[in-house]
Amino acid sequence: MTGQASGTPTLLADYFDGRSARARPVRLWLEHEQLVIHDQDLDGVERRYPIRQVQWPERTRHGQRQAQLPDGGVLSTRDAVGWDDWTAAATQGRGLGGGLAVRWFSSWRHSVVALGVVVAVGAVVWQWGVPAAADTIARHLPASVGESIGDESMDQLDGYLLKPSRLDAQAQQQWRARFAAMVASQPGESTSYELHFRDAGDTIGPNAFALPGGHIVVTDALLKLLGDQPDAVLGVLAHELGHVREQHGLRLTMRASLSGALLGFAIGDFSSLLAAAPAALTHASYSRDFEREADAQAKRLLIDSGRSPRAMLLPFERIGAWRAARTAQAKAERASEPKTLGREVGEHAKAGAGELLRIAFNTHPADEERMKFFER
Amino acid sequence: MQQHEEAAATGGLTGWPLSEFRKRKLDIQFTGSGSEYFRIWIVNLLLTIVTASLYWPFAKARRIRYFYANTLIDGHALSFHGDPWKMFRGHLLLLVLMGTYSAAGHFSPMAGLIAFGVMAAIWPALWRAGMQFRLGNTGWRGLRFGFAGTLKGAYGPALPIWICSAVILLVQMVGGPAGLPVDGKPRFGMVEKVVLLVAGAILLLTPWVIAAAKRYQHNGYRIAAQHGELRLGAGPVYWLSLKTLGVTLLITILMLVLAGAGFAIGMFVLHSPKFASAAAVVGAMVGYLLYFALLGPFFTARFQNLVWNGTTTEDLSFTSQLKVGALTWLTLKNWVLTLITLGLYRPFAVVHTTRLRLEAVSVTMDGDPETWVAGQGSAPQDAAGELAGDFFGIDMGL
Repeated sequence: MTGQASGTPTLLADYFDGRSARARPVRLWLEHEQLVIHDQDLDGVERRYPIRQVQWPERTRHGQRQAQLPDGGVLSTRDAVGWDDWTAAATQGRGLGGGLAVRWFSSWRHSVVALGVVVAVGAVVWQWGVPAAADTIARHLPASVGESIGDESMDQLDGYLLKPSRLDAQAQQQWRARFAAMVASQPGESTSYELHFRDAGDTIGPNAFALPGGHIVVTDALLKLLGDQPDAVLGVLAHELGHVREQHGLRLTMRASLSGALLGFAIGDFSSLLAAAPAALTHASYSRDFEREADAQAKRLLIDSGRSPRAMLLPFERIGAWRAARTAQAKAERASEPKTLGREVGEHAKAGAGELLRIAFNTHPADEERMKFFER
Repeated sequence: MQQHEEAAATGGLTGWPLSEFRKRKLDIQFTGSGSEYFRIWIVNLLLTIVTASLYWPFAKARRIRYFYANTLIDGHALSFHGDPWKMFRGHLLLLVLMGTYSAAGHFSPMAGLIAFGVMAAIWPALWRAGMQFRLGNTGWRGLRFGFAGTLKGAYGPALPIWICSAVILLVQMVGGPAGLPVDGKPRFGMVEKVVLLVAGAILLLTPWVIAAAKRYQHNGYRIAAQHGELRLGAGPVYWLSLKTLGVTLLITILMLVLAGAGFAIGMFVLHSPKFASAAAVVGAMVGYLLYFALLGPFFTARFQNLVWNGTTTEDLSFTSQLKVGALTWLTLKNWVLTLITLGLYRPFAVVHTTRLRLEAVSVTMDGDPETWVAGQGSAPQDAAGELAGDFFGIDMGL
């Protein structure tokens, strides 16, 4: 048995053989790409392991250093600094158990860079990755999935928010025929859709919206507001058909669930508290692009069916006026009678229900910008 | 035991009653640092993100090694021997299972039902495999821990919940989904009554299930010749659940009082209905936050004490004195700071919580750990299960 050559850096450590819990004091050194473990108690007993087969500990400021040997033995030392000095000296500064990750987390500067990259990647994924992934999923999902989501939402809305239309069957049939003729006049593309007439009361007002699976809902109030100008109604329906064609409902659902999952992953334990956040965060910016796409579809359909795109100006004007009137009325009511807590809560709940219809027609982007689009 | 008697006979020079003399308290210390774990965490996160989650098992192994190297029992750190490549296989297996499970329900109720059945059938086996892997790869003083719970035993605690869930599913398969709107109103018929009843039964059974699961876990723990034993009936867990319910009621009352006080001040002192309703909402929100901040720590602290104070082995007994107040205060602080820093405080929070929970526990040992030797190999009766756990490196965290 050989002892270490003079000048070789050595270290005192505890050795456990993996069978007994007794700690044996040993002296360590490196020799010919091997780790030598020299038992201090039983003089002369030496164990040798190829350096590469030892699981070396990563260098951290806190915690004990433990090297795991291939036969189940463990080397351990409480003196982390002594261990690091020894590995550095024994390998001419290269160290053992290092690596890219260790170099990065050992340095504050690198860690801050890592933080910056994580935030940047997160932002990019949030801004572009989630929509792109959601759109891809939406495109490849079997049509039945979109249909079942749409049917379910339709059932829910019918259960809680919408009432059967008060429009007589003949008038309904007339609108259906008009819209079908308009869609048929556009060559090539055919999209399956289903037109529903509903009474939505005052909270939603004159409006129309599209759900996944081709459901298009028109409220009685909209037909009343625009009934004297059939082309304006058809323009709104064309806009909703645009949503159907671009699968906006399904894409929105996928985006909301993906961003929710992402946020849940990032925030972890706090998900239960912030579960509602993603929905609120995503809508505004998403629907802007979707509305523009649907507007483009509506304009094309209006032109293809021989109508003027300017027909779409009227809905903006009249719905805008209706909204302004309602706001003024609400203000007057608030001024005249004090609110009770119960009423406040009730109104919040109603507003919340309205939020469900994030896909409804008269939302963002700013009406003026969109009106200009139809004027040209 | 024989061995100890001999040691006592030869080593007892003082004449003290030796069984008392040999007893020694082993302290548990946690030396991890929040700022260091923050750097490990962020670099792990970066690597996990840029590899599209494939680095995750390696990151997890690094995290476990860091926490183990900083967990000192009687001055000796724990060691983690898990092979990240094996954990990688387990990670993929769990991903595929969970993915299939969550996707199945979207396609048809029948597929969802089958997926649920399969999941329920294999989950206890995975749970056991996970514990075998984690404990089998945890070492102290060079000795490996082990988990000796049987496959059959793993299914025991899950059985009542499994039966109840099956009843709920079957009833709805026959009678249609519960709460189906009829004429705009959710229906309330036979199906709904049965579902409510069985859901109530699940709620009532949960403490029993928790106690049984903990017994199974702790009774399976092994190191050297030591066999874990947990004396914990369902009774104390029911009692603890009742007390937690009591805390919930207290918070609810507090919430109502806060909201009412805010409303009253606004209405009768400031004469502003607007302020009154705002104050009421703020009061209710504070109460709502208290639910999260108080209930978790209350149950966690009491439950940890209950479980570890009841755990013994031949030569070891455990004492856990985790204070509800300390854990609540720490949890509240962690939450506020995590929210303010948009999640960056999380690694600090994890380190501080680990320190508090670990250092509340101490071990009393009868004898000398130096005399311990590795167990005679965990009995090979369940070689297949052990192999599965080891092959897939399933680690669900204990």
